[in-house]
Amino acid sequence: MNWRVLRLEGVGKDFDRADGGVAQVLRDVTLSVERGSFFTLLGPSGCGKSTLLNIVAGFEETTTGGVSLDDMTVTGPGTDRTVIFQDVSNALFPWMNARENVEFGPKMARLSAQVRKERADRYLRLVGLDADGGKFPFELSGGMKQRIQIARALANDPDILLMDEPFAALDAITKKHLQVEFRKIWDETGKTIFYITHDIFEALLLSTHLAVMTAGPEAGIKEVFRIDLEEPRSPSNPDFAAMFSRVESLIDEEVQRMRAR
Amino acid sequence: MNPRKFFWRVLSVVVAFALWWLSSGTIFNPILVPAPHKVAVNLWEMTADGEILFHAWASLRRVIVGYAFGSVLGILTGVAVARIRIAEDMLEPPLQFMRNITPVAIIPLAVNAFGLDEPSKYFVIIYSTIIPVVFNTAAGVASTPQIRVRAAMCLGAGRWEIFLRVVLPSAWPFILTGLRVALGFAFMGVVAAEMIAAESGVGYLIMQSRNMLLPEQMFSGLFLLGLIGLVTDRAFQFTIGRLMRRYMLQTAAFD
Ligand SMILES: Nc1ncnc2c1ncn2[C@@H]1O[C@H](COP(=O)(O)OP(=O)(O)OP(=O)(O)O)[C@@H](O)[C@H]1O
Ligand SMILES: [Mg+2]
Repeated sequence: MNWRVLRLEGVGKDFDRADGGVAQVLRDVTLSVERGSFFTLLGPSGCGKSTLLNIVAGFEETTTGGVSLDDMTVTGPGTDRTVIFQDVSNALFPWMNARENVEFGPKMARLSAQVRKERADRYLRLVGLDADGGKFPFELSGGMKQRIQIARALANDPDILLMDEPFAALDAITKKHLQVEFRKIWDETGKTIFYITHDIFEALLLSTHLAVMTAGPEAGIKEVFRIDLEEPRSPSNPDFAAMFSRVESLIDEEVQRMRAR
Repeated sequence: MNPRKFFWRVLSVVVAFALWWLSSGTIFNPILVPAPHKVAVNLWEMTADGEILFHAWASLRRVIVGYAFGSVLGILTGVAVARIRIAEDMLEPPLQFMRNITPVAIIPLAVNAFGLDEPSKYFVIIYSTIIPVVFNTAAGVASTPQIRVRAAMCLGAGRWEIFLRVVLPSAWPFILTGLRVALGFAFMGVVAAEMIAAESGVGYLIMQSRNMLLPEQMFSGLFLLGLIGLVTDRAFQFTIGRLMRRYMLQTAAFD
């Protein structure tokens, strides 16, 4: 599929709560994400970021509104969108070694053993784990597992990667390395990224676009930015610092609003 | 095994035999509870004339047949309960009821329904096997991490592929636990059934020996039972370790 833009139009989502009530999570979310961009979603905890990502992935249905790639409506999960989960221990297949995990998508696509091997070689190399293909997930560190998950997603050649706080569970140093590397991978592959994080610094380091959400319930989009910071991005750049405090104060506003309720 | 461990284990066996030897003729009537060396002689004689093998094979054959059917049926039922709403609604009540009725209690019914021959033994073994396998399989299938299934969906796996390549492998550690428990239950079931109605088998040997006042032979039967159980359980674990090792790796991820 060769869409130019991912569009969310008037997306609303209610959940039936276990106590019989209704949780009104999202209201009227309208966004468009251009092909090739690195689009990051920030917002107070519990506002509905993961819910929104699950809707784009096709795991959850919308209550109102819809998601489309150009004019194709999203009705369920598809190989054009691949999710990268934070909980990587459960996301990888523990009974497959790293290489077998990476080859899973190509295998499902009925590609030949030759092509599968080439893909696995290429993406294991891209994430710097060409020597670790024979290792099983339990033998890999958290950071390595996350690299494998990224390689597995890329080997499936999706148009867009949906990433829900992919590096949040990693230690600070591993996280920093992966951020830098992932930015490079994005440069090389040109994939569209739909990214969720709590980390404003990470968002400013990586993204081309940034959306801040309002606090829930009935959360929506507060503001969308284009990020045109000087490359390579650096926190010592005054524009970076200015952008940081602007985004931070927007989120603080929402957190205050949530507390006030 | 390190030397220290080896020492204590050997000591434990020696102490057990010593207590047995001392109690026979003091606490217990030596005619009814014979000393270990007499049992050893009997065991040797029965092995030499092939009687041990005859009874062991009779029980083992029943277990192999019943356990094979019970396992397959148990896995299929467990999967159905976990994955098919109607199957869950229809099977939960009888299963929850049945799990309270121990295999031994089902033997009279088995004899009434299936007669004194092999079919009633198979029924008891299948019944013994199926309960732990169903519950463990259902638990395993239901506990497959949701995001693992979602990851497979993103990677292009269809419903059937998700089941075979993701749900089933995720459930294997549970299913295998159920199968191992079931193997023990199968032996308990068959021995009890043989005690009540049979012409062969380890259970028959034990019961018949007591009735005919051959206590040495009764002890030989008990020893045989312990040995068969131990060997089959070890064989089970060895096979799993060989064939299913990669599926057991995930128990490390169950943190
Ligand atoms: N299946 C569900 N049933 C009921 N309520 C749900 C369900 N899933 C999510 N919610 C509710 O929706 C709201 C948004 O959840 P979501 O996980 O999308 O938030 P989030 O922005 O990703 O939070 P965080 O930043 O902590 O990850 C929460 O209040 C949550 O309780
Ligand atoms: Mg979330």
